[in-house]
Amino acid sequence: MPREVNMPKLSDTMEEGTINVWRKSEGEAIERGDILVEIETDKADMEFEAYMSGTLAKILVRAGETVAVGTPIAVVRLPRDSDEDLTSFLAERGGQPVSAAAPVAAAPAAGAGQAAATSAPQPGRSGPSGPAPAVKSAAAPPPASAPASVAVPAAAITPTSKIPFFAPDPDRVRATPRARTLARERGVDLSEIGGTGPDGAVLVPDVERYLESLEEGESLLEGDVPITPVAARIADEMKIDVQRVKGTGPGGRITKRDLRAHLDALERGEGDREAGLFGDAIKLSQKRKALIRNMVKSKEEAPHFYIAMDVDVEPLRTLRERLKADGKGITYTHLILKACALALERFPDVNATFRDDKIVRFIQVNVAVAVDVQGELVAPVVKDCQGRSIEDLAKEADALIGRAREKKLSLNDYADGTFTISNLGMLGVDHFYAIITPPQSTVLSVSAMRRLPVAEGDQIRVGYRMDFGLACDHRVLDGAKAAEFLGEIRKLLESPADLLKNGEGA
Amino acid sequence: MPDLAVEWLGRVPYAEALELQKKRVEARRTGVCGDVLLLLEHPPVITLGRSARPENLLTPVATLRERGVEVHEVARGGDVTWHGPGQLVGYLVLDLEARGERDVHAHLRRIEAILIHALAGLGVPTGRRVGMTGVFVEPSEPPRKIASIGVGLRGWVTCHGFALNVAHDPRGFVDIVPCGLHGVVMTSVREERGNADEASALLRKARDRVAESARRQLASASAIG
Repeated sequence: MPREVNMPKLSDTMEEGTINVWRKSEGEAIERGDILVEIETDKADMEFEAYMSGTLAKILVRAGETVAVGTPIAVVRLPRDSDEDLTSFLAERGGQPVSAAAPVAAAPAAGAGQAAATSAPQPGRSGPSGPAPAVKSAAAPPPASAPASVAVPAAAITPTSKIPFFAPDPDRVRATPRARTLARERGVDLSEIGGTGPDGAVLVPDVERYLESLEEGESLLEGDVPITPVAARIADEMKIDVQRVKGTGPGGRITKRDLRAHLDALERGEGDREAGLFGDAIKLSQKRKALIRNMVKSKEEAPHFYIAMDVDVEPLRTLRERLKADGKGITYTHLILKACALALERFPDVNATFRDDKIVRFIQVNVAVAVDVQGELVAPVVKDCQGRSIEDLAKEADALIGRAREKKLSLNDYADGTFTISNLGMLGVDHFYAIITPPQSTVLSVSAMRRLPVAEGDQIRVGYRMDFGLACDHRVLDGAKAAEFLGEIRKLLESPADLLKNGEGA
Repeated sequence: MPDLAVEWLGRVPYAEALELQKKRVEARRTGVCGDVLLLLEHPPVITLGRSARPENLLTPVATLRERGVEVHEVARGGDVTWHGPGQLVGYLVLDLEARGERDVHAHLRRIEAILIHALAGLGVPTGRRVGMTGVFVEPSEPPRKIASIGVGLRGWVTCHGFALNVAHDPRGFVDIVPCGLHGVVMTSVREERGNADEASALLRKARDRVAESARRQLASASAIG
């Protein structure tokens, strides 16, 4: 069965790619590993290699054209493919809307007539060439003496309408007991195989060849979902979202049987729901996946330790009320941000990371502010905080948080943080610790403001306190240093006048 | 995580450097060597990427050759650019697959990060511009571009990389529309620092900063996003 080569996905964010140059021309032989085509996306140019050997049968997208990821760009004919395999493969795709491919389409079509005329009935093949669905039972049985080596398993199914896709039922496929056992062991769907035994029965060598052909056609770059060629074609034609189908075939590939089970489940209204314990799976965004990877890496590699301090925030409260009365848009977030920036500047050993068995200081103080945007955690970074006034920092932080809420952050907006502030105070959390975001080595957790009875001399009165937690990477700093650093933040917040001075202040 | 080797090659003619890079890519693909950053300078040369438009070359090729400027077409992304003495060129040969990072755009962003950090260390504040791969001086309007980036992939092994203008002859860019970007001014580290530095000393300093920054960036995964 000929193969389609699809526009590869070279990046999570890549949606389309441009064909720069075809290095092979139609009809030219290709070896696995040969450079087939150069593809460009943004400022990256990829020399895309053939992952199968054969002949470049047809170019579907010409140089200079841009198509979406996953779009077929060429058809490769494998060595075992007969002329009629190619003809029927191309004919099936005849109506496919491929950009400006019309001129090239003429050549194979002309070749098709010739192929039909010259190719004598081949031994071992399942039936007459042409559009008739070659469902095994309907086809004339091949001679039992057929040399097995000529059979092309996957080619046995050439459906032209949607109904025969799922016939025959794999349980009804004729097969020898040993072939059936082998198929079951390896997860092979028998209905995907053309048998070469009597009455089209599937033999052990048929299953083996089929497994071999799967390996041979294995793609290195196409999509992430392993799927057999037959199932891929059916899914494509029936517009089945293979991301939602569970594969049970060889190597976890999705088979025809899996597609049928998926469609049956949909028909029964079961959707994606798996039986038993698991409910619906939630598909994760790339950002979420990156976050998960980072958090796991952090807990695996950075030995965390935690300290906390209760901060007397009465002066901060007074200051904030005064600023509010003056109409200044300075919030607690801004005051805490400024305090952290100052403390980090004074403690360069905290604004550091562990790399290659060394502690390396960051050049800049870049403070990430974790924000929850409709259930998604993002941490835009206020960069280069050294020596900047609180108004300046506030303006940038507000702009970043605004962009975060509108989901308009660029990659640069959340890159290169050297420290993170995570605030759950507004959600009524009294005390918590966060996980460090590598390559940072500290994260501050800010909790809710509490009214507490506090002792003042011999009197008890009501005071305001906030819990500040610090998670630290023990490779970079020890408890004493961490306490000094958090103590500095406390000192700045408890006598906050310094925070309003421009630059370094004192 | 594989380590990064950094090599300084000095001034190497373009064709020779391409050949050398090709060998390193093959060696990386076969696992003979690890990830490497080749740092070098080129004699004056204009290169046309795969999407170069002829109108972005402003001077006839024959005239350029007479003046000793070579012209090459190369298999990298991007339009047209100039390389020459005083410009730090980096060829970054990484196996993205071995790093578990099959993402060419993330690779481009990483090269930008390497340069942004290195430049911060040289006292030049820089950043990214949305939709324009490369490194730009911040703040600047019109945008002042200080480094150009273009990469190639062979399988998942990267080649090409960046060209950082350190103390180049600014006349180098007059024959082209750099990267096909109209309205973008090319600048250099020396220019941004007030033209006071001695060129060769500054190039060495930039080289060391870039090497250090690349080692750091490639030693651990980048932050969220």
